[in-house]
Amino acid sequence: MNENIFCTPNPVNDKDALDALLRDKRGQQYYDEMKRLKVDTAALKKLVNDTCRSRIRTWLEICAHCGMCADACAFYLSNDKDPEQVPSYKIQSTLGKIVKQKGDVDNAFMRYAMDVAWGKCTCCNRCSLYCPFGIDMGVLMSYLRGLLFSQGFVPWEMKIGSGMHRIFRAQMDVTVEDWVDTCEWMIEEYEDEWPRLKIPVDKKNADIMYTVNAREAKHYPDDIAEAAVLFSIAGENWTVPSEGWEETSLAMFAGDWEGAKLQVKSVYDAMDRLKPKQMVVTECGHAYRATVIEGPYWAGLKSGKTPVETLHYVEWVAKALRSGKLKIDPAKKIKEPVTYHDSCNYIRNGGLSQYGREIMSYIAEDFREMTPNGEHNFCCGGGGGLNGIGKYRKERNTGQKVKRDQILATGAKLVITPCHNCWDAIRDLEEVYKIGIRWSFLKPLLLDMVIVPEHMKPQKEENEEE
Amino acid sequence: MYNFLTGPMAWFSFLIFFMGILIRSFLYIKGLDSNIDRVTYRVNTSFGVKEAVRSIFSWLLPFSTRGWRTQPLMTTLFFVFHVSLLTSTIFLNAHNMILQERWGFSIITIPNVVSDYLTIAVLVTACLLIIRRIKLPHVKILTKPSDYFILLVSIAPFLTGFLAFHQFGNYTFWMLTHIISGELLLIVIPFTKLSHSFLFFFSRAQLGMDYGIKRGGMKHQKGMTW
Amino acid sequence: MFKKILFATTGTPSCDAAARVAFDMAKRYNTELFIINVFGIPSRSFSQVITDLRTGDEIDLHDDQLVKIKNKLERRYQQQIHDYNSPHDIVLTDGIPHTEILRVARKKEIDLIVMGARTSTEENTGSVNRHLIGSTLQNVARSARCPVLIIGRAAASFWGGISNIIFGTDFSKGSSQAFEFAFNLTKMFNASLHIFHAIDISSGPFEFTKNQEVIEDRIREVRGMIRKRYISKMEGYNDYEIDVWEGIPYVEIVKYARESFADLIVMAHHTKKMAPPEESVFGSNVEQVVLRSNAPVISVNHPARQKK
Repeated sequence: MNENIFCTPNPVNDKDALDALLRDKRGQQYYDEMKRLKVDTAALKKLVNDTCRSRIRTWLEICAHCGMCADACAFYLSNDKDPEQVPSYKIQSTLGKIVKQKGDVDNAFMRYAMDVAWGKCTCCNRCSLYCPFGIDMGVLMSYLRGLLFSQGFVPWEMKIGSGMHRIFRAQMDVTVEDWVDTCEWMIEEYEDEWPRLKIPVDKKNADIMYTVNAREAKHYPDDIAEAAVLFSIAGENWTVPSEGWEETSLAMFAGDWEGAKLQVKSVYDAMDRLKPKQMVVTECGHAYRATVIEGPYWAGLKSGKTPVETLHYVEWVAKALRSGKLKIDPAKKIKEPVTYHDSCNYIRNGGLSQYGREIMSYIAEDFREMTPNGEHNFCCGGGGGLNGIGKYRKERNTGQKVKRDQILATGAKLVITPCHNCWDAIRDLEEVYKIGIRWSFLKPLLLDMVIVPEHMKPQKEENEEE
Repeated sequence: MYNFLTGPMAWFSFLIFFMGILIRSFLYIKGLDSNIDRVTYRVNTSFGVKEAVRSIFSWLLPFSTRGWRTQPLMTTLFFVFHVSLLTSTIFLNAHNMILQERWGFSIITIPNVVSDYLTIAVLVTACLLIIRRIKLPHVKILTKPSDYFILLVSIAPFLTGFLAFHQFGNYTFWMLTHIISGELLLIVIPFTKLSHSFLFFFSRAQLGMDYGIKRGGMKHQKGMTW
Repeated sequence: MFKKILFATTGTPSCDAAARVAFDMAKRYNTELFIINVFGIPSRSFSQVITDLRTGDEIDLHDDQLVKIKNKLERRYQQQIHDYNSPHDIVLTDGIPHTEILRVARKKEIDLIVMGARTSTEENTGSVNRHLIGSTLQNVARSARCPVLIIGRAAASFWGGISNIIFGTDFSKGSSQAFEFAFNLTKMFNASLHIFHAIDISSGPFEFTKNQEVIEDRIREVRGMIRKRYISKMEGYNDYEIDVWEGIPYVEIVKYARESFADLIVMAHHTKKMAPPEESVFGSNVEQVVLRSNAPVISVNHPARQKK
């Protein structure tokens, strides 16, 4: 008999359950219950049978145990080359065992697998570039997370996150009303300096539909206003949807495929409703990965693409700079040494590395690459949901050492991080290691140096003095 | 004995070998699923094929990927082992003489002395690979008995062939063990990790398509930096 | 004039003086009173763990914690709440303090925000937190759509018997709004209005600061501007004074306030929203005045909100 209240295989689908779960401080009771959570081996076996196909089986089978993936992993390097952090080991000892034993595993094993899947891997997929066979252990780990979620072996914050998406269609408790209200509020806030600023909500047939990260609405509404200002300066015909405005997916991190599908469908529905020419996604990495790269598959779109073409914010910025929609005041370019952190989710897994470089060529005088960079860049430690999981905080902090050393080696004190989770991780990195760096999204930097067209400036009142 | 081994048994092992490869390849492709793998193999296929080819060839050429470059010792070991193993087998004078005898054709061959060196290279690199497994903690933790088994199965024909050719001790004995171990190798290839000999191409192609179609291939200017 | 007052507090002694004024005013004008305490900032990404703004400790966002914080606040203001003796609303939230204060002020259509000024030891977590450049005070004063009453020193915490109101102007757009508000208050209290401007000689061309005649020409010019711009709008109200001094503006206004027995200073706070951090860090005139003056300061920057 399962008498668990919080820790069950069932996802959180209603507000009462979510509130109850939130009241369980740091998941104390939740994790306690997890020790008693029974593994439904029959269900696990069936799920593996249904979803574990030749690609994954072959990967698990042909791995030659050569260990070439070891040095690819930021966690392996950060943990003084602990053999248990070798990507292949992490996957063979967890997913490998589940598949081999056809789901016949016990509670202790599942909890171990959870520790590995969320505490030792950010699903950055870097190891896939170092395996001669092309085994993508990030993909395997994501798949393992799905299996674990189906059985209820998932970190407390991930369970909450997945529940948020199921209830609010957002990673935080931000309703449609809250969101629209926040947009209106920002217009009021900025009207003095940007008198003609608008955030058009639900405008049909716009060129751009802009979607964000719920944390912007919840805590950092200035981010939305900054985006609005830049779109206005660039003269874009843009809009935000009232529903389907949230791009992120903690459900993806949680392995909650059903929740992830619900989330991305809300965005695709907005596309269908508003018929924009393009969608632009805010400076967030996993949001792009979830909604643009993986999302179409969850939603069953045969094209493998979002209903309308989607650009990540860095693509939009690069193109706007190239076409002259945004013009940079040469005197205001960044003079100090500056480096750029590649977000795994849209660089390695999205092919957008060239745009970051292009942007830097416009805005920075002393741009310094990290080594390695681009597709081969290391994860900041904040991927895969690790930023928010209390249980694995220590592991996450340790895992950041590689990024710390990479940044230090550039000599730059300013790190550009066009991704919410990377931003947070680099912030945390400074908090933990105190290496004296600053970090920033692109938007505030661009606003400092972009040339504002006359018609955007506030009209000076007669006889007003500065 | 010799007749059996070079007759029905040889046919049988080649049959298993080729059928195994065919069936496993077929099953691999059949098991690919656009939705579950989340790669549209049939949409934007050209992007996928292009990256699949790059994915395979980048990894077939020594030091052409960052992975190969960052681990030069392993890369050298790896390529010396595999290249020696394949060339010394396929282009061996004696093997081609058998082909000529049985089916009336042969392909180009390499001088026996070269084959000798290549065989020694196979044996030496295999030993180094074993030492690597024992000595390096990150490889040791991955290593299972089966890894030693398949390595031994793989090099057995080379050791026995070498001993037979140079007539150490009993030629017939070494020759028979050479044939047996060779046939054993053919038979186990499709059913063990040695299936990587052909599944490598599928796995690499799949990841190539994954990156080529879905994960940025259509946005890259120059394609994936392998 | 004030129907809804929002008292923004950190729940620390630095807000005690502001609390006195907030409760006092709420009682005196029989207003609705809202109290907001932003107790922590989100610091662990999307998780429920936040950083306590006072202690820097990690705290959890859940009901027990909220009850505890609420009890603590109510204990601190026990006497005032008892004296006020009307229903009040306590808003407890996590987030970026100025964002949440402004959000609530907007949502509840607040007429006056009352807040304390920071002491140097507080808010030292700013540099590592998102959008926390510049102080809460600065951000609220700049963006609020209602007057913001800032109580810096304990001596500034007595509201009532207001007979001398100082309006410090820099002739900015915000100053026009501040004037309107100051004048309305003046009429309400039947007080005397001191219109003041300080010519900034801490910056500007060398020739200008060296030559006292130039300065005095400028003083005459400014007096004319004050007459034209403000006195003309005072509908014949004649209990006023005009004074223009030269010096460092915030020093001069504090001196002026002391000499004219000011009970209240009204100013505009008009740093730019997107001002570079180095400008915001040193603080504006308003903040300097708040920290130095014995009189409470009201910052007005925007026209009164249009009621829905």
